[in-house]
Amino acid sequence: MLLRDVYPKALWDARRSLPGWTGAIAAVALMYAAFWPTVSSPEMAGALAAYPKDVLAAFNAEDLGTPQGYLGGTVYGLLVPLLVAVFMIAAGTRGIAGDEEAGTLELVLAHPVSRRGLALQRLGAALTEMAVVAVVLFAVMVAARAPFELGSVSVGGFLAINTQLALFGAVFAALAFAVGAATGRRAAALGVSAGAAVLAYLANSVFPQVAALEWTRSLSPFHWYLGGDPLTNGLQWPGTLALAGTTLVLAAAGTYLFTRRDIAG
Amino acid sequence: MADLAISTQELIKTYGRGSRGLAGLDLEVKTGEVYGYLGPNGAGKSTTIRILLDLIRPTSGTVRVLGLDPRTDGVALRRRIGYLAGDFIVDGRQTARHLLTYLGNLRGGVPAARIAELAERLGLDLDRQIRGLSKGNRQKAGIVQAFMHSPELLVLDEPTSGLDPFLQQEFVHLVREARAGGATVFMSSHVMSEVQQTADRVGIIRDGRLIAVESVESLRAHAVRSVTLTFDGAFEVADFARVPGFSGLAVAGTTLRGRLAGHTDELVKAASRYTVRDLLCEEPDLEEIFFHYYAPPEADHVAA
Repeated sequence: MLLRDVYPKALWDARRSLPGWTGAIAAVALMYAAFWPTVSSPEMAGALAAYPKDVLAAFNAEDLGTPQGYLGGTVYGLLVPLLVAVFMIAAGTRGIAGDEEAGTLELVLAHPVSRRGLALQRLGAALTEMAVVAVVLFAVMVAARAPFELGSVSVGGFLAINTQLALFGAVFAALAFAVGAATGRRAAALGVSAGAAVLAYLANSVFPQVAALEWTRSLSPFHWYLGGDPLTNGLQWPGTLALAGTTLVLAAAGTYLFTRRDIAG
Repeated sequence: MADLAISTQELIKTYGRGSRGLAGLDLEVKTGEVYGYLGPNGAGKSTTIRILLDLIRPTSGTVRVLGLDPRTDGVALRRRIGYLAGDFIVDGRQTARHLLTYLGNLRGGVPAARIAELAERLGLDLDRQIRGLSKGNRQKAGIVQAFMHSPELLVLDEPTSGLDPFLQQEFVHLVREARAGGATVFMSSHVMSEVQQTADRVGIIRDGRLIAVESVESLRAHAVRSVTLTFDGAFEVADFARVPGFSGLAVAGTTLRGRLAGHTDELVKAASRYTVRDLLCEEPDLEEIFFHYYAPPEADHVAA
């Protein structure tokens, strides 16, 4: 029964948006994958060779000649993580700040529900939504291997990158959740998280082109997610642990601050 | 203290920006009574209620509700409370049935038959989307969720704002039933009429402090009533001027008007000497009685 508790209710409330996001993200990935047989032609390779390397690097598209490089640059390098970040920032914000600003959080908290329980269940629902998207995306990409000539990418590679993608999304869900839980303000949760996402992207792809700023890359969730090329080399533990650790720290901090403050009336 | 459902000592709540919510509130609500918590808007009524539910935390002072501290035993406490805000806000993209089932489940489950029974009494359509309901109908859903688990303590914040007279009456019945069943009711309002039908005692809050607590009965007993007597013919004003507590006499033809404090007995006996064609004894609104509590201190002596 989906109305049993805060967590299943949050998933029930996502029953329309979740299929929408899942479908959109899978469709974008599939569309790009479908271009691969065309892109892999020699003419295309020549055209791409004409681009400056820095420009390609800025779009995570340094190696478009192999299926791994192409998928890592287009699907998993830019559009999908961007959509995932937006999706998870929205979900993390909704969990507490959105509900509180709408004035609907008070009623639930007037029930026998603890602050901590509510916070963790709401965040848990957002992370579950992320898992659904990652699993569906994984299944779609594995199914697309044969028809779109992507056979050289292993199933293990897809598993690795989708796992790291899910954790990448979790970081932004947890960030939006934490800011919202600490402040109760939707705009703050959205603003801080969106800003962090943009900085994270720039720190991975643009800043390192200046030698003095190369260190910023190691702080970027984008780097934690893509660094070491999980599509080719399988799960990258440093990145995976950095993503998971950041998620846990943000979840704990947000929940703690939420239990200590006044709820807006 | 088991006989107190709610007690606060020296409760202070200061909001950021230096604005004061409560300035040392000492509140005592007895188990089993209906307590009307009255005060003008901004006096601190909602602040008090939100502290009782642990939605906000007091700056200092102590609170005990049903023997528990809301801060540390909030979950156990809220299981025993029914809460209704005057402005019942919920996500409109669900039916009232869904919402009430969910809220019931958060309390460990409320039988569907109980929800249906309350909904029928109030005339609430459980299967319509909440966003399609009028404010009054939305408030019905709020009333159902507050009463459906038959809580020991009902905390009602301006509960009947926006309800039509029929619904207000039904609400009064629900409160009386809850009280008859042993529940304590703590009801805030900024209008006396909302609580005078049900309350045993009334507390007046102003500027974050309780300034008066009276039983509704004694308020009524000490109330000054305006009396109009119409006689069949001439009468002696002097006969009535002697009646203790009867003042402000005014004669217009065969009609005598005045204000009576205390018992009616002497006045009725004085009038019995004449043929009384009509007797009108108007009980003033409690609002009028409490006027001087509301009025700023310097205006205390201005006649109401």
